[in-house]
Amino acid sequence: MQAPEQARTGRVSTGIKVLDDRLGGGFPRSATLLLFSDKPTEKRLFAEGFAVQGARTNETTVYVDFYRLPALARNDLLRFGSFPKERLVLVDAISSQLMVESPETYRIADISSLSSIIDCIVAAIEGERPARLVVDSMEFLADHFPKDDVLREWKRVIEAAKAVGCVTCFLFINWTYHEHDLQVIRTMSDFLVEFQSSMRGGIIRSSMRITEMGAGGLKTNWIPYTFKDLVGVTVYFPRILVTGPFNAGKSTVVRSLSERAISIDRMGTTVAFDYGNVNLSGIEAEIFGTPGQERFEFIFKIFAREVSGVLLVVDATRPEDFERAKHMLELIGARIPFVVLANKSDLPGALTVDRIARKMDLPDGSPVVATVATENRGLREALLILAEMIIGVR
Amino acid sequence: MVSQIRESLRAGERVVFVTLDLHPTEIRARAKALKLDLEPNEGKSLVFVDCYSATSSERPEATPGKKTLLVSSFSNLEGIGMAMSKAAQELGTPVRIYFYTISTLFLHNSTQAIAKFFQIVTSRAKMNMGFILYAVQDGVHEPMTMNLLRSLVDGVVEMRFTDTMEREVRVHHMRGFQVDSAWHPFVQMPGALGGM
Repeated sequence: MQAPEQARTGRVSTGIKVLDDRLGGGFPRSATLLLFSDKPTEKRLFAEGFAVQGARTNETTVYVDFYRLPALARNDLLRFGSFPKERLVLVDAISSQLMVESPETYRIADISSLSSIIDCIVAAIEGERPARLVVDSMEFLADHFPKDDVLREWKRVIEAAKAVGCVTCFLFINWTYHEHDLQVIRTMSDFLVEFQSSMRGGIIRSSMRITEMGAGGLKTNWIPYTFKDLVGVTVYFPRILVTGPFNAGKSTVVRSLSERAISIDRMGTTVAFDYGNVNLSGIEAEIFGTPGQERFEFIFKIFAREVSGVLLVVDATRPEDFERAKHMLELIGARIPFVVLANKSDLPGALTVDRIARKMDLPDGSPVVATVATENRGLREALLILAEMIIGVR
Repeated sequence: MVSQIRESLRAGERVVFVTLDLHPTEIRARAKALKLDLEPNEGKSLVFVDCYSATSSERPEATPGKKTLLVSSFSNLEGIGMAMSKAAQELGTPVRIYFYTISTLFLHNSTQAIAKFFQIVTSRAKMNMGFILYAVQDGVHEPMTMNLLRSLVDGVVEMRFTDTMEREVRVHHMRGFQVDSAWHPFVQMPGALGGM
């Protein structure tokens, strides 16, 4: 039975909403993406998620895998959840290396011949006319063939992909090339997606940064991300601080935003911290609420370390507390993105967001959002603004 | 190496075993022959990073995950590096990483790529994970390659068979220590590593 016609839209979604929003719906058709790192990272997760996202939206994806048997690759991709199998076409580069049979339509018969490898990939592009192509990974070719040949054939794949309106992801970790070779590779790409992984406190932290090549293009900050089975890749903020003066409504903010929340309090006021886990528009965040009273400032200072961003909660009816709020911002540091939540903005006497910004003498453009935490009003908007500030797309 | 693992586990340390040359089942069997049952430790204080199964086109272990992290290919250096980090994260740091053997990588990757991989992984292990011990086969690499590997580590322990097939060991060098670089005989006995 013939597979149904594949879907075609103007943009190719990353599956991460906050990124798609800033990319105008996703990467443009025919774009070439270089998924790059100079040390081992989890960039394959992004590429796999990108492939599955395509298949799920009924786009054909061609996945060239130099490392895995197709059965193993398909099994790995199922970690992202189900998708129509016929939309994922694997180019098998392994069976011939292991001298085993392959049921795949596109099988690289001679792995020692660069032109034979590229001919097979181009045949898959022309035969399937995919919306997405993932090449996993170019360092395999860089390590096995002369550099000039690799760069020439790399361009051939890009041209073939562009001819059918396909977004191409080239994974590449640089083991062997010099900086000027890397510069050539960057200039062949429309988007550079850089990845880094680090280990702190025994926990691996991954982040990526997207740069649109050419003047005036999009450039994000380092975006922390995580992976969860069946969910895929999500933007992940390991520590968002919810802070502000006493009785401004911080615990209510944490509870209202969170799917799950706990609070360590005494007689209704937080004496240690509030904690919540938030999932919102492809963003996952761990949020920590601090006590507002000055006598608990030592706890505030502990939680203020290594924060991704701050939701500063003020009571819009109590301008006398704004000085304390500003002091808390100063303790966190000027480089950390923040959004001011003008809470209790439904109460009589609440100041407008403009007046609060003026009274607090905030830098121009600092976002102040009117909220009513008890009714969950304005909170999600505030968190999304903060997320966009952290990842540098606002 | 199995003796080293036994000593580490006995001391309550956590161990990551990266295997490129042997199936984990064979390592378990060899450990048993030395009176060391690895299975009760797996997932708690021992994790295998298995680069052997997938590349030998054997069926990977039934439930890869907690006990064993699979790497798809000897050429997938990035995958090996990340699997080591994930194993360390799973067990909790610090860990002792045993890498058996770096020689196999040379059959599938360029010396330049391995040198960079070796440097990055060693530095990551020392900074964030703990201790790493690589096994390398003597006599199969160019002297330049061996010198490069020696220069990238803190210490080198050499083992050999004599003409009469006796085992000998010596410490070639160990950064920060003055060592006796003479060869010493040793024997392998079940349950213990014994000098003579």
